Amino acid sequence: MHGKASKELQKEVIDKGLCTLCGGCTGTCPYLVVYDGRIVRLHRCDMSEGQCYHYCPRTYMDMDAISRHIFGAPYGEGEIGSVREVFLARSTDQVIHQKAQDGGIVTTLLSVALAEGMIDGAVETKLDEEKNPHGFIARNREELLECAGVSYEPSPVIQAINRLPNETTEKLGFVGLPCHVACLSKMKLSPPTNRANIEHLEPVIGLFCGWTLSHSFHRFLQEHFDLAKAIKFDIPHHPEHSFDVYTPSGKESVDLDEISPYINKACGYCFDMTAEFADISVGSGRAMFKGWNTVILRTKVGAEILDIAKGRNAIEIQPIPDESLANLKRASLDKKKRALKNIISMTGGVDDLLYLGISQHLKEMLLE
Amino acid sequence: MAHIEIDAPGTTQLLLGNEAIARGALEAGIGFATAYPGTPSSEIMGTLAPIAKKMGIYAEWSINEMVAFEAASAASLSNIRALSSMKANGVNVIADFLVNLQMTGIRKGLVLVVCDDPGGMTSSNEQDTRPIAKWLNIPMLEPSTAQECKDMTKRAFELSEELGMVCMVRSVTYLSHTRGNVRFGRLPENKKVAHFDDFYNIDDPRQSRYTCGMQFHPYKQSEELLKRFAKAPEKCENSPFNSYRGPEIPELLIISSGICWTYAIEAVSILGLQDRVGILKLGTTWPLPEGLVARYLNKSDKVLCIEEIEPFVERSVMELAASLPPDQPRPTFYGKRSGHVRAWGEQNLNLAIQSIASVMDIPYTSRQSQDLEYRRAAQAVAQTLPARPLTFCPGCPHRASFWAIKIALQLDGRNGFVTGDIGCTAMGMISPGSFQVRTYYAMGGGVGVAGGFGHLGQFGFQQPVIAVCGDSTFFHASIPGLINGVWNQSNFTLAILDNSATAMTGFQPHPGTGITATGDPGKKVSIEALCRSLGIHVEICDPFDLNTTIATLLTMMRDEGPAQVVILRRECELVRERKEKRNPFRVYVNPERCIGESCGCNRLCTRVFSCPGLVWDRDAGKAVIDEAVCVGCGLCADVCPRGAIVKEAL
Ligand SMILES: Cc1cc2nc3c(=O)[nH]c(=O)nc-3n(C[C@H](O)[C@H](O)[C@H](O)COP(=O)(O)OP(=O)(O)OC[C@H]3O[C@@H](n4cnc5c(N)ncnc54)[C@H](O)[C@@H]3O)c2cc1C
Ligand code: SF4
Ligand code: SF4
Repeated sequence: MHGKASKELQKEVIDKGLCTLCGGCTGTCPYLVVYDGRIVRLHRCDMSEGQCYHYCPRTYMDMDAISRHIFGAPYGEGEIGSVREVFLARSTDQVIHQKAQDGGIVTTLLSVALAEGMIDGAVETKLDEEKNPHGFIARNREELLECAGVSYEPSPVIQAINRLPNETTEKLGFVGLPCHVACLSKMKLSPPTNRANIEHLEPVIGLFCGWTLSHSFHRFLQEHFDLAKAIKFDIPHHPEHSFDVYTPSGKESVDLDEISPYINKACGYCFDMTAEFADISVGSGRAMFKGWNTVILRTKVGAEILDIAKGRNAIEIQPIPDESLANLKRASLDKKKRALKNIISMTGGVDDLLYLGISQHLKEMLLE
Repeated sequence: MAHIEIDAPGTTQLLLGNEAIARGALEAGIGFATAYPGTPSSEIMGTLAPIAKKMGIYAEWSINEMVAFEAASAASLSNIRALSSMKANGVNVIADFLVNLQMTGIRKGLVLVVCDDPGGMTSSNEQDTRPIAKWLNIPMLEPSTAQECKDMTKRAFELSEELGMVCMVRSVTYLSHTRGNVRFGRLPENKKVAHFDDFYNIDDPRQSRYTCGMQFHPYKQSEELLKRFAKAPEKCENSPFNSYRGPEIPELLIISSGICWTYAIEAVSILGLQDRVGILKLGTTWPLPEGLVARYLNKSDKVLCIEEIEPFVERSVMELAASLPPDQPRPTFYGKRSGHVRAWGEQNLNLAIQSIASVMDIPYTSRQSQDLEYRRAAQAVAQTLPARPLTFCPGCPHRASFWAIKIALQLDGRNGFVTGDIGCTAMGMISPGSFQVRTYYAMGGGVGVAGGFGHLGQFGFQQPVIAVCGDSTFFHASIPGLINGVWNQSNFTLAILDNSATAMTGFQPHPGTGITATGDPGKKVSIEALCRSLGIHVEICDPFDLNTTIATLLTMMRDEGPAQVVILRRECELVRERKEKRNPFRVYVNPERCIGESCGCNRLCTRVFSCPGLVWDRDAGKAVIDEAVCVGCGLCADVCPRGAIVKEAL
């Protein structure tokens, strides 16, 4: 019982610049909406307990409780969360490769699960005509393909879950960024009332994420590119230093330094690079393995799907070199340290970590 | 409705004060009547218009008080008696014309009836118009009863002609809206010929009498005006409307006028002070019947003035006292200045009793505070009355408009706000309009003020501004503000909430309706054509189409360009209902879907949207439709987040 609702959400999350625009607070009630890259409160709600506040990934996250619920163990101290296996993988499906961001693992796993009847569809992100991302429920292979590729702007995917009809019995998979997965993990820990049952929402596929770009970046895009023609956005890994927009006639790039002012400030307070509460987390193969994905398998549910995909030869796999794994861990640890530092500089003390409910020991370890 | 036009001299009819005024005008033989609707004055034209043709009168609802009064003056200048009626605020609107008309004087009787609203129950303020009469040297009569409403109106025409100037009659809400017995007089023969005599005459080339600023020397006309007005005190001196009741030498002299006189009479009788307190009633409040007042001032050393709003009579009497011969004793004055009479709001019997008791230094406790039984009974009765908070009617398109405006402003997120205007749209400043209206002053004020906000960009002002006015207020005084904004390139959006009626004051027609006061077809004036002729962006939305309305408002607000107009058009529900006689939808709440107070709704419909047609069933924890109130507009079905409110087309 936190005794808080939308007014406090505004004060403690939105006004402080912590909102990731995950859509966790929207889509269920008439009071909060996502508009123009902001969460807008339309009317005064006087609830004493609001699910909007409760599920927001930037209000208190009891990391141990969530971890116990998903992995049966308290939140660990590893750099990339609870891990069964880490490896490199890519799709064997050329159609998916055409559209996918990196190795096409996300789309492939979902398409296998769909074909096997494990799921009826998946909650994903799709771009509209203006290339604005929004939550979308893909229910067949074509629709899964429509969702392949990424937008670097925040997508309020959780809103699509919140909008599911109460009576739905569909089995849906989920793809989202670490903040989306965090929100979903809170919902799974104490399932919402008056909404669709989300406990069967699986597999949860998390994407690695360094940061998103703010809504004003969209205006930048509109000014610099013909968005109607864009078919893919990419930020290739070091040593390249650009933001690329692919069109049927080729690639246009801008220097990454032009992009950095648009990085969402909220992402500076994010503790999670690898979507630690997902069943499977997927990132790029980085520069060394272009066209591949880095995959972290975390749960039994994830393992089942991977096994089927392997069995069907839908994906190919290779081990991740030690150096790559070390790089991944370092990057993830850096993100945690940076988040902690930013949080402390906002609150002015190590005793108040805003939303972050981690153990004293982990905190001390990271602060060293 | 009373038949004020019957030719039955000597009979007595029960009439509203406003109806009695209309009857007085008939007995005076008017040929011309104009008005702009405004509570508490509207029933005067409301009574005259339907019988106008039969009585050979031209009657007009004008688009504002200024043109109404100007038109009436034209009739007077052409030898036709004319009446113009309005509420207090209207006199401010006509002030410029009035000042100048006084310079030239008039020809045939011209009477301006103004209904003040003490307490301001249906007005933006509680302005007293009597000081205007004094300021402009206009004779003013102040009736106390329905009978006097009639008699004084008739007398005002004669006085107007005797003095060659406009004459004012001042009523107040209580008097205008209360019925009293009125003994009818004769209706004059119907022979009126209009002709404007002061046209250019080739053998006598000179400036017309009806141009102010004679030879560009206005002071010459001032001199004339003062000469004309100098005859007024003597007329008032012998007026039968002034009277005295009480002992020869009263301990206390009450001077009162208008409706307050009736309170004073009753108060004195309740206090049993008839032998000690005298009451001087003034029917001619400007100019004062100075001789009469001076005579009574001489008889008492205590004077109490009881009146509403301004201490007008009080101050005038004190001025008079200052000019009395030095040897005459000065009484002590009690009233609003001394704190013995409440300085604001409507007066009533109880207040009058308190005022008199305190000056006479006698104890008095009102029955309410004295009698426990009585108080209990009064409270019990009060509890049986349903609480009726001020709100938009069920089905009112303005509720939808303000809902859309509120959402658009929240989405826009730049602290935009609404500048409001008079009329039903004023409800936008309280909870039914979600408190959206943030400035609210006068007819046409919304767009005028917006025009100023829209020019503050150079000082860092970035808030979008939406001016709101009704269709009637648009015609009344918003057009110049809009043109000014367009010309000077001010950045604002004007939302005209067009419900095709002057609903606030009782559905008087206006140019947009195309029907005149007498029910004849006029030329319908198209708001959109008028706005488009300014070369600006004009959109028309049905406010019930919430999403389109919101989207349109958002685009308009984001546009940095000059003034734009969105017409939020939907017929006033009361008008629609009268025409169609049935509801468009059957609306009901599906209790299975309604989640009521739970998170995910929190009673949006009954707590925020608040149409009176929706009620909260506390026991069931569900919303329900109150079928007696619901008009089936179906808007709430679009507002409910759960699809729990169902609308079925009928
Ligand atoms: C904002 C953002 C930042 C990222 N940062 C990194 C990083 O730093 N390091 C790294 O290794 N990988 C990062 N990724 C992940 C990487 O870009 C790929 O999404 C991932 O490797 C999966 O590739 P794939 O070929 O399997 O995906 P595909 O098969 O092409 O599937 C892409 C999936 O991403 C979803 N998606 C697209 N845009 C969004 C969005 N804005 N929000 C949520 N879901 C979305 C789609 O719905 C689809 O399900 C980031 C992704 C995003 C969206
Ligand atoms: S982080 Fe998500 S849940 Fe929290 S305020 Fe932002 S959109 Fe809402
Ligand atoms: S808005 Fe809908 S769900 Fe909410 S209380 Fe009203 S009927 Fe019920």
